[in-house]
Amino acid sequence: MAFVRYRLIQFVLWLIAVSIMPSGRSAIAQDQCRLCHEGIEDTPSTLFKKDVHAGMGISCVDCHGGNAKKELMEEAMSKAAGFIGVPKGDQISKICAKCHADAAVMVKKYNSALPTNQAELLSTSVHGKLSTTGKETIVHCTTCHNAHGIARVDNPLSPVYPLNLPKTCAKCHSNGTYVRSYNPALPIDQLDKYRTSVHGRKNASGDIKVAECASCHGSHGILASKDVRSSVYGTNIPATCGKCHGDAQYMSGYRIPSDQLEKFSKSVHGVALLEKKDLGAPACNDCHGNHGATPPGVESVSKVCGTCHALNADLFSKSVHKSAFDQRKLPECETCHGHHDIVAAKDELLGVTPEAVCSWCHGNKPDSKGFLAAKTMRELIDTLGISERDASQLVEKAEQMGMEVGEAKFKLREVHQARLESRTMVHSFDEKQFQEVVEKGLKSASTISDEANGAIEEYYFRRQGLGVATLIITVLAASLYLYVRRLERKQAREKRG
Amino acid sequence: MKPLWKRAYDWVDERVELGGLVEFMGKKYVPVHRHSVWYYFGGVSLFLFILQVITGILLLMYYKSGEEQAFESVQFITSKVQFGWLIRSIHSWTANLFILAAFIHMFSVYFTKAYKNPREITWVTGMLMFFLALFFGFSGYLLPWNELAFFATKVGTDIAGAIPIIGKPMLVFLRGGEEVTGATLSRMFGIHIAILPGIFTVLLSIHLLLVQRQGMSEPTHFGDETKGEMKTMPFFPNFLLRDLLLWLLVLNVIAILAVIFPWELGRKADAFGSAPAGIKPEWYFLFMFQTLKYIPAKISIIDGEVLGILAFGVAGMLWTLVPFWDRQSERGGRGRFVTYVGIVAVLFIILLTIVGWLS
Repeated sequence: MAFVRYRLIQFVLWLIAVSIMPSGRSAIAQDQCRLCHEGIEDTPSTLFKKDVHAGMGISCVDCHGGNAKKELMEEAMSKAAGFIGVPKGDQISKICAKCHADAAVMVKKYNSALPTNQAELLSTSVHGKLSTTGKETIVHCTTCHNAHGIARVDNPLSPVYPLNLPKTCAKCHSNGTYVRSYNPALPIDQLDKYRTSVHGRKNASGDIKVAECASCHGSHGILASKDVRSSVYGTNIPATCGKCHGDAQYMSGYRIPSDQLEKFSKSVHGVALLEKKDLGAPACNDCHGNHGATPPGVESVSKVCGTCHALNADLFSKSVHKSAFDQRKLPECETCHGHHDIVAAKDELLGVTPEAVCSWCHGNKPDSKGFLAAKTMRELIDTLGISERDASQLVEKAEQMGMEVGEAKFKLREVHQARLESRTMVHSFDEKQFQEVVEKGLKSASTISDEANGAIEEYYFRRQGLGVATLIITVLAASLYLYVRRLERKQAREKRG
Repeated sequence: MKPLWKRAYDWVDERVELGGLVEFMGKKYVPVHRHSVWYYFGGVSLFLFILQVITGILLLMYYKSGEEQAFESVQFITSKVQFGWLIRSIHSWTANLFILAAFIHMFSVYFTKAYKNPREITWVTGMLMFFLALFFGFSGYLLPWNELAFFATKVGTDIAGAIPIIGKPMLVFLRGGEEVTGATLSRMFGIHIAILPGIFTVLLSIHLLLVQRQGMSEPTHFGDETKGEMKTMPFFPNFLLRDLLLWLLVLNVIAILAVIFPWELGRKADAFGSAPAGIKPEWYFLFMFQTLKYIPAKISIIDGEVLGILAFGVAGMLWTLVPFWDRQSERGGRGRFVTYVGIVAVLFIILLTIVGWLS
């Protein structure tokens, strides 16, 4: 009896040992595909030796079908055994997705922490669209990951390893003929530009932390930049850049601040872009570049700002300040306006009061030309502001009185336009030119005020006119009433008499 | 030496024999009773119509029809033309008061059964003028080419288009095409200033001629009284002077309304813009509009809206033809049925107008 029990325990232990033995190893041991193909040393089987899948015990038949246990090629690679040969077109991604989209397989069988939505993301991405052949999607898993010899993303041999990814993407994106067949407007110089950027230079020197293609565009779910869901859509760019640049810990090794996103969000540009969703407002890439992202630098900052603020930049470049700034090596726009935290250009920035930027240089020299010019210009712009406010209030008052002031209301735009123009003309730092613009606005404001005052006077004239008219009509009516009464009394007397 | 006015009168009398007319007017008497006040609303309607014609002609001197000019020309009238604002405001206010006076006049004639023999033609011409007045309002409403007018015309013509068989051709006729466009504006302008005034003048002439020829209708109880018990007043000058007195008071009311509440112009119509929230027709169409809203989308196999429009059409026709089917009043009875129908109609119109206004 003790012997039987001993044998039974021995059998159970054997069963446990067999069941816990790595299944892959046993599969490899029985894999007739690899026995033959490795024997003839063909490229796929050679590459597959180092493939991450081989290490997980995944066999050739898992992708190609067939029966790996059959020694005879005719049997192993027969259609009856489910052999499909080299997967083609969309079949490739479907085969990958068999495991990669199945959480049960990935987690339970392979203990993997990989997401299981790559196939779905790819199918809905810009790469998941139909190719020019019309038979398959543009990109399959193997387009980026290769077919045999697939390595983990953190393996330097992988084509999607951060240092290799720019080249992998460029295989297609730098191919003008290929790109043109899908989007003729899409540039093909992204890799070249990237290599000139801080990101690209650091990437080339082996820094895997800096941004590469996938850092901004995503990997499987890449969307066109004009797609509002895209991480590189105008309003999403600050958050995308901020993922790294707003992370103080992540950026600690680069000796640059990490408060740009916070500052930008509060700036006039950030409010316009992020709160008002104004796509005309600049995002990070509009000043720094996108693929060639680099800080503009002291020399070129005015050129960068000048791409949008062309008139301001032009006026500044012709002004007396140009040479003064150049001598002191001061960045042109940034000195007065800041960079990430640019505030709205209010009239208060002008002049010699403590909050005015002019006073930073001219504030302590009351007799200097600069001090006097700044003071006069501020007085002029304040006068224009007050005139605009007064004219607007008068128009509003007349309108509330029920008067038709549509034209005057429309003309108010001229005054506002003059104010905006004067703010631009500040950059000429020429008192005479500035005064011309302000006077144009003052003239319009005066005309509008006259029209509004006229409408208000007309309102009272109408009331007075109504009073007079009502009085006349009432007197007439009363006289008529008295006349009718007298007439009827007379008629009654005549009737009686 | 005769006074100047006497000499002028004699001069005209010599040529057109005014004497007969004056004699006729002198013999014309207006019954005096507790419902006499309603007699004045015909005169008030006439006065308001005259004001409409005068102010309309004045507006015509500056108004420019057309998608690109209509709104701007009205804006010009109200802001630049001397007293243009007043003329436009009077025209708009008078239009509404005219329809109100016509409503009152029509119901007063209905309830006093003044439509019965021999005044059937007077009643029918009056009813036709009433419908024309509503069409006057509808066509004139679009002329400033503002947002409200544009969408109200769209809704109004859509309703007309729902009428079976004739609806679609009528919609195309009214709009001058499938949609409300500049062509609709030109069409409404033509209808408003030429077609309607032409027809209206003919009907008004017949109506006034008959009123003068047949005299004022007497209440039913007058027939039972002897000639001596009848209380009357001469049409000329007593009634005419009282009419004038009321006209002056109405003129005063219009002046106050036009100055204190000048008619707004609103925003220019934009065919591609969205309709303003809570768009409603003018108050005199509101009861019909509100009723159509309450009718279910389908009643059996018939479209609810179509049924509603047909019902209003039939009701309007029966109302117009009341002298021909109200036999009871004709026989000298009180015509209680007709009175009850009228009371229900008045209550219905008032209630639905208020509900429509508040909703």
